[in-house]
Amino acid sequence: MRFRTRLLISFGVVVMIPLLVFGLGIRREMSNRVTAEYTRRVDALFDVISADIARESDRIAARLAALKSALVADDRFRSWVVRGENRGYVLDYAGDAMQLAGLDFLQIQDDDGRVVSSGHFRNEYDRLGPAVPGSGAALVRAATAESSFLALVTSDTLRIPPRRFRLVGGIAVDSQFLARLARDPELAVGLVLPNDTTNADSGKLVVPLPPLPYVDATEGPGRVEQARIVVTRSSAFLTALQRNVNLWFAAAVLVAALAALLLAGWLSTRISQPLEARIAIGDLARQVNHDIKNGLAPLRNVFRHFAQVAREQPAELPQVFAERQGTVESSISYLETLAANYAKLSPQSERKATDVNSVVRETIGASGTVRTKLAEGLPPVSADALVLRRVIENLVSNAVDSLEGKNGTVTITTERGKNIVRISVSDTGRGMSKSELDKAFDDFHTTKPGGTGLGLSIVRRLVLDSNGSLKVETETGQGSTFIVEIPILS
Amino acid sequence: MLSLFMPHSRLFSISLLAFVTACAHPRIGAGPGGGGETRAAPEESCLLSTGAVSSPSRTITIGLSEAVNPRHAPFARNDAERIVFRHLYDSPVRIDCDGQVRPGLVDRWEKDDGGRRWTFHLREGAQFWDGAPVTAQDIVFGKGGVGYTLAAPEKSVVALTFAKEKDDVPALLGDPSLAVTKPAPDSSWPIGTGAYWATSATTTAQEIRAHTTSGDTLVFKFAASGDARDLLDAGVDLLITRDRALRDYAATLQNHTVVALPWDRTYVFVTAEAGGTRLDAGGLEQAVRAEARRAEGSSWWLDLRGCALARDTTPPASTGQHRILYSRGDPTARELAGRLAALTHAVATGRAPDDFSDALAGGKDWGYVVALPRVTADACRSAKGLVPAWPATFTALVDTRPTAIVRRDVARWTVDQDGAVHLVRE
Repeated sequence: MRFRTRLLISFGVVVMIPLLVFGLGIRREMSNRVTAEYTRRVDALFDVISADIARESDRIAARLAALKSALVADDRFRSWVVRGENRGYVLDYAGDAMQLAGLDFLQIQDDDGRVVSSGHFRNEYDRLGPAVPGSGAALVRAATAESSFLALVTSDTLRIPPRRFRLVGGIAVDSQFLARLARDPELAVGLVLPNDTTNADSGKLVVPLPPLPYVDATEGPGRVEQARIVVTRSSAFLTALQRNVNLWFAAAVLVAALAALLLAGWLSTRISQPLEARIAIGDLARQVNHDIKNGLAPLRNVFRHFAQVAREQPAELPQVFAERQGTVESSISYLETLAANYAKLSPQSERKATDVNSVVRETIGASGTVRTKLAEGLPPVSADALVLRRVIENLVSNAVDSLEGKNGTVTITTERGKNIVRISVSDTGRGMSKSELDKAFDDFHTTKPGGTGLGLSIVRRLVLDSNGSLKVETETGQGSTFIVEIPILS
Repeated sequence: MLSLFMPHSRLFSISLLAFVTACAHPRIGAGPGGGGETRAAPEESCLLSTGAVSSPSRTITIGLSEAVNPRHAPFARNDAERIVFRHLYDSPVRIDCDGQVRPGLVDRWEKDDGGRRWTFHLREGAQFWDGAPVTAQDIVFGKGGVGYTLAAPEKSVVALTFAKEKDDVPALLGDPSLAVTKPAPDSSWPIGTGAYWATSATTTAQEIRAHTTSGDTLVFKFAASGDARDLLDAGVDLLITRDRALRDYAATLQNHTVVALPWDRTYVFVTAEAGGTRLDAGGLEQAVRAEARRAEGSSWWLDLRGCALARDTTPPASTGQHRILYSRGDPTARELAGRLAALTHAVATGRAPDDFSDALAGGKDWGYVVALPRVTADACRSAKGLVPAWPATFTALVDTRPTAIVRRDVARWTVDQDGAVHLVRE
């Protein structure tokens, strides 16, 4: 598994799981609070609806009482009762009276319960009307010629000798009526009638009110059953809230994932690339070691052969040399070719206008042990900034090492010379002896434990590749100064 | 309580006027003779008794309580269209309230071959509104029926030939659907041959103005408010209604006379149920607000064997709940359907007139309340669109008749056998 992948998984665990737990917690808490609020509202509505139905029943009863008074005083109705006259007037009576009284349902029934006059369905006369209870409100499903409708009704009785009549009147119970009962846009009031399963949804918050008598009179007088008014909550508000939370939660997850992805990328660049570069260098070193050994093995064999011939048969040495000369030359050619091939792997520097002081500042950063004396107004030099940085890094590193942990100073000085800019890295360390100075730029020569011995060698090569020069001034016990001169950009 | 809206004095007036009008109509008189009659005698018996007319008005106003569609002409779909079309479009002859044949586009006739062949002569000077002469070909073109043929042997002669002898003047040519019309390029009113003409230019949403060449004008006024009493209060000279409440209101007006017209319509319950439904049709006249009586008289729709209708052999199957259809816009049909629904626990459902005709032809519903003309000159012609082709059981429910509310001493009106009232031009 790649280092970057491992980083991403780690971020997922560290960031996403807490975020998920947080989001789910908010959802649950929100749902609980909204449900509790609904429950409180439904409880309050319970009493309101009971009072509203009682008030509607009283209003209907008052209208029926007024109609009753008018009917008793109506001579034409009386003439029908007593002598059977004015039948047409009686048939139309309930229709006109119903409209005047603001009712949606009105029947005048005789002693047998047969319709004498019907306001909502004129031509249902002589049919048996709904068998509503004698007192109180009831729900009636009433027939009309073309359909049926539900009404909240009450009844009253009157007597015109020798007959008794019953007035049954009411108002339509439709969606508007139920909406008026609800009064709260987030709560709905519904009806659960006998054999009606459409409103008995157990998934909703359903609160039944006290049952009402119910009569289905669409195909006859019917019988008294029980109907329930229920309060159901609308899930629209909670659904909308949860949808918003889900939306914002998804946005948060997306942002976190994006941030984790960017962070992992940045960290992998900072951490894994040098690591991988070191691994690659190691692999390269092993390959170089293997290739060089391949080139050296024939040389070693030829040399041993020469040594043996020189020791045992010196006279034949010229002849043997002539015989093995081809092998030596072939091995040397192989090694040269090898060196040329490896040289191709070296990155080519790109020389361009470079501000020396900027490179110095970037290289030392906020280091407290390195002092600088940088000349103002230096012209740009012709060099690769990265190469120049590696040069300074190596020199500063060596200078700091030369202090050997003791008090001392490392100073970088820049100044302008003739067509060059001079960079001096000075330290107050132990300095170098003459013999040490002679070997200082040799490859693989080092005086530091664990060192590669390539630092100053590389510095010299990089400076020479930049058409510059490198000088050293040193004195044992006093310190050293490495002077690099880079040509100004022409 | 409702007595507040109908004082006893008004009730007495209504009763008195109803008695007077019953006495006033119809006044049976001597009709034209049989074969060989060339011109009918004045139809005094069919005149509405509306007082003496000393100086006829040049402009007469007729109130309409229903919509009129010129595109229906000359086939009237309601009472309003019937009175308008009767004044604009002439049929070859008219049948008066006594069943006597009266001149229309033809003014004389004779019989030959013992009554098998009747020859009708076009009225001299008969012409369309645009001045084109009416020919016999205009009358017979596309016409014809079961048991007779129509031909135009001469330009002004229509020949009617029967399979059997006819002693009396055949009334077939009195069918309003035989009225002669031709399309008008710039008007929704087809060009007719009647004394009055109208065009789209003389028609508005409020009224239809029809004129004669001599300058007389008939103004057909609609009840803009939807309340026909407004027309009476505005002073129309004639209003035909089936609404008893409107009749009762008119009876209270001093300048108007209420005249009951002939029983012209029978409502029939049509069902495919074998043997018909066992509904108790008695007392149905109480169920309607129109003037109604128990259905009586000949039921021409029961014997259409000679009409060669494309009869289906099997009745259509109705499904689901029992449903009784009626034509929306006909309040009497609606009330009867409601009453039948109450008696049978069915459901009454209204349909637009055209939809109702289609539904009746299809026969998919349990029952239909159909309004049929009580009398007809040509049963087979009348049956088209009104009587289903599938095997049906007919139950006659009620007869109804309209009432004419006429302003006194303004004009003379006569009534035909089909109940259509029209102006007698002086």
